Amino acid sequence: MGKAGSLELLPGTLDLLILKTLAAGAEHGYGIASRLKALSEDVLQVGESSLYPALQRLLLKGWVKAEWGASDNNRRARFYTLTAAGRKQLSAERDEFDRLILAIHKVLNAT
Amino acid sequence: MRGLLRRAWYFLRQHRLDDELAEEMEFHRAMAQREIENRGVDARDAGFAARRAFGSAALAADRSRDVWVPRALQGLGQDFRLAVRTMFANRLVSFVAIVSLALGIGANTAIFSLVNSLMLRALPVKDPAQLVLVKGREPTGYPEWSYPLFEQLRQRPELFDGIVAWSPTARATVTAGAESQHVDGLLASGSFFDVLGVRAAIGRTFAETDDVRGGGPDGPVAVISHDFWQRQFGGAADAIGRTLTVENVPLTIIGVTPPDFFGPDVGRMFDLIVPLGVEPLLSRSEARLDNRDATSWLNIMARLKPGQARDAATAGLRGVQAQMFDATVPEHWDARSRDEYRHESMTLLPALTGDSTVRQLYARPLTTILVVVVLVLLIACANLANLLLARATARRHELSVRTALGASRWRLVRQQLAESAVLAGAGAAGGIVMASWASRVIVRQLSTDAKPVFLDLSMDWHVLAFTIGIAIATALLFGVAPALQASGVAPMDALKARGDRSGPAERRRVGFSSGLVVAQVALSVVLLVAAGLFVRTFTSLVTRHLGFERDRVLVVSVNAHSAAIDPSRRIAMYEQAREAVGALPGVAAAAVSTLTPPVDGPMSILPLADVGGRQPEGERPHATINAVSPDWFATFGTPIVAGRDFSTLDRSGAPRVAIVNRAFIRKFLAGLNPVGQSFTPKLPPPRDASPVTIVGVAEDAVLWSLRSPIEPAIYVPIAQGFLPAPWLAQVHLSVRSTNGPPARLARSIGSAVSAVNRELALTFQPLADQVDASLTQERVVAQLSGFFGALALLLAGLGLYGVTAYAVSRRRREIGIRVALGAAPAGVVRLVLSRVTMLVGLGVVIGTGVSLWASRYVASLLYGLQPRDPATLSGAVVVLAVVGGLAAWLPARRASRIDPAVVLRCE
Repeated sequence: MGKAGSLELLPGTLDLLILKTLAAGAEHGYGIASRLKALSEDVLQVGESSLYPALQRLLLKGWVKAEWGASDNNRRARFYTLTAAGRKQLSAERDEFDRLILAIHKVLNAT
Repeated sequence: MRGLLRRAWYFLRQHRLDDELAEEMEFHRAMAQREIENRGVDARDAGFAARRAFGSAALAADRSRDVWVPRALQGLGQDFRLAVRTMFANRLVSFVAIVSLALGIGANTAIFSLVNSLMLRALPVKDPAQLVLVKGREPTGYPEWSYPLFEQLRQRPELFDGIVAWSPTARATVTAGAESQHVDGLLASGSFFDVLGVRAAIGRTFAETDDVRGGGPDGPVAVISHDFWQRQFGGAADAIGRTLTVENVPLTIIGVTPPDFFGPDVGRMFDLIVPLGVEPLLSRSEARLDNRDATSWLNIMARLKPGQARDAATAGLRGVQAQMFDATVPEHWDARSRDEYRHESMTLLPALTGDSTVRQLYARPLTTILVVVVLVLLIACANLANLLLARATARRHELSVRTALGASRWRLVRQQLAESAVLAGAGAAGGIVMASWASRVIVRQLSTDAKPVFLDLSMDWHVLAFTIGIAIATALLFGVAPALQASGVAPMDALKARGDRSGPAERRRVGFSSGLVVAQVALSVVLLVAAGLFVRTFTSLVTRHLGFERDRVLVVSVNAHSAAIDPSRRIAMYEQAREAVGALPGVAAAAVSTLTPPVDGPMSILPLADVGGRQPEGERPHATINAVSPDWFATFGTPIVAGRDFSTLDRSGAPRVAIVNRAFIRKFLAGLNPVGQSFTPKLPPPRDASPVTIVGVAEDAVLWSLRSPIEPAIYVPIAQGFLPAPWLAQVHLSVRSTNGPPARLARSIGSAVSAVNRELALTFQPLADQVDASLTQERVVAQLSGFFGALALLLAGLGLYGVTAYAVSRRRREIGIRVALGAAPAGVVRLVLSRVTMLVGLGVVIGTGVSLWASRYVASLLYGLQPRDPATLSGAVVVLAVVGGLAAWLPARRASRIDPAVVLRCE
């Protein structure tokens, strides 16, 4: 994290972003990291030392589940999918995040 | 919760999951490398670049692990594995530790499981918290009510949700063919099973329809206990419907109660339950069911309505109690007693844990013993703390190496605590096994032939929680000091010479050990004093002058309840049996009486209106009364000191006569010549209240409990009809042997009595056993406290020995130098002993102080001595001083034999 041109993530938002990434379908750790990077146009670069602990945290909470499968180049990879609880959590956190951003905007735009 | 399960799942598969994570991250890195290669970088540089981009894989793995297992707990499994290995490595230390813990924890668990089943466990019935006991103004542990009163309560359903009455378990005779045996029977109202919510294990329980006089639709019925069903019928299903002959009345067995149901009386067990309506059939002319005068044979328990508070229920009850008492006033009582009866008041007591006479007897002794075993465990803990402290000192090198390699203090402390926990766990496991055996032994000790004690000792969460709590507490008690000691190790220590043992930590250790020794000695003094008090109480009761000879008399209880004989003819039959037995070879004398000492239970008394022409002193003057046949005094060996003994001429119709004891004369006839005086009993009609002439004076003899002083007693001829007929349904035939133990006469006595009337039910018990049985409580307390006192002494002696021996080994060099410089052996012994003496002295002073303060709590358990009995106290101090001195002298003597040359060469 914290390379030139990338942003420090707000605490807690990494989980939300991972959940959002997985909402599009099953993905392995590398895929999640690349997708985050691509979607944010290289602004968000997630370090592996945060990504993997975060994935473990989501596993512990039961929001995602992991299964071994074959990657597109036929290597063994661990794929993560959202669980029903994860989906619920995603929408709840999303609403919460929207409210937070809106609130920050209001404060910053106040005259 | 599910998170916790996932954590546990993770914990179990940790190694595989770690591998998977590593594989996953390797895949990530490989993908990153491929991407860089695709940009045209060569494979080797791409590999480096990918690795750089990835950062520390170890850090990622660590953080991932932290998600699952909190940092502070990581490696706990490792600690325990190491602890178990350490335990096996130090076999001797571990063995001593585990055995002493198993003894200590086992003793605690055993006593607590007794306390639990006697005092804490809820009755095995439906919703026991809603049950209340109906008692009088001053509640006793005995039955307090009559059947008419129960009917009054039953007619007022607005008071309670249900009400039951029962008569506590009593011996009954069951005959099957020619065999007869005693069983414990319980009489209960028809509502009993319904209100208590107890269902039959097989068959059915009885209901209101069965509880009618003479029996319901199925005739007189009985429900038997699971235990009796197994014993008598081998658990056969066809026991239902069979006939059981009780007191010569055939009862139909209709059901078996569940195995865990022991009835409403905690500490007793029933064999069969019979509806109250059957009572007149069983008791015949002595039936109490409709007898208003029988005011104290029923216990009553009620179920509160849902949401009804006990206070509200009491208020409701008190509102109608006057009506109920008025309607059930005993018919034959004197005016004053009837008046008192009318003004009795009802109290409701919680019945969650049931009713219990056994509890009344043993609650205090058992809690006292529980305190004793807790103290013993504390002493054992102090020993272990010292042992582990010494070991921690020996392991200082290992610990400082671990510190030097980066182990945190917490990690070292945790390691030591894990070792303590493993020891305590093993000790507790051993303790539970020991306790299940020991508590059964103690219950057997509490039981007597006439009154078997039954306690449900199965493990429940109370006992389990207690044992686990005790195990954790002991692990902390003996583990914390060595653990803190271990944490005080500095990395530098590893580099220092291993022989160096004089740092500040070492001085702290010695100070702490000394404190433990003082505490051990003090606790041992307390336990020795307690043991001394209880043992002396028991011995002074056993050696108490009884006023009769206990060793040559066999008491045969004769029960004529079920014999088909007119009550008025019983006296003659008893006399016939007495003469038949008296003529047997080996019999010196035989006598019949209503009571034999020591009487267990309510005592029969005779109120006195007038003695020797004067109004006797005191509130409600009375004397205990025993109706006896001729030869009674000769049989018991109680001398007649003035006047004459009874003879066969003192029979019905002859002038009424009595023999009194010396206590009677001291109280009522002081200064008069007693023989020829008369007294007038205060008896309501129709009983004969005409004056009685005193014809003799007997030596004082114990009649009631051995603990109580000798009361004024009146002996009257059993043939003169002094006592109402029901009292004569069961009498005692006491037989004195010419020499040797009287028990061997039982067979010939049995056949002689059967020849007179074969329907009489007989029970044999040597008088000595009867006396011993009355001292069961004192004997058990004395045995247990004596045993634990000795154990405490042994433990304290071992502790003292260990600490002194350690101190000597630590000072070998110093002592060697002293000897080399010319110190005499005696001087060395003095050097070592002076310190120990100080510790023991301090402990004794503290222990004595605590004993003086605490002994008042056991005052009610003592007999014949004061709680602060100086002889017991000084005895305990002397015993402790001798044992302490010996424990310290052995290592001191070894110290005096240290050869300076050897010591100095070693250094």
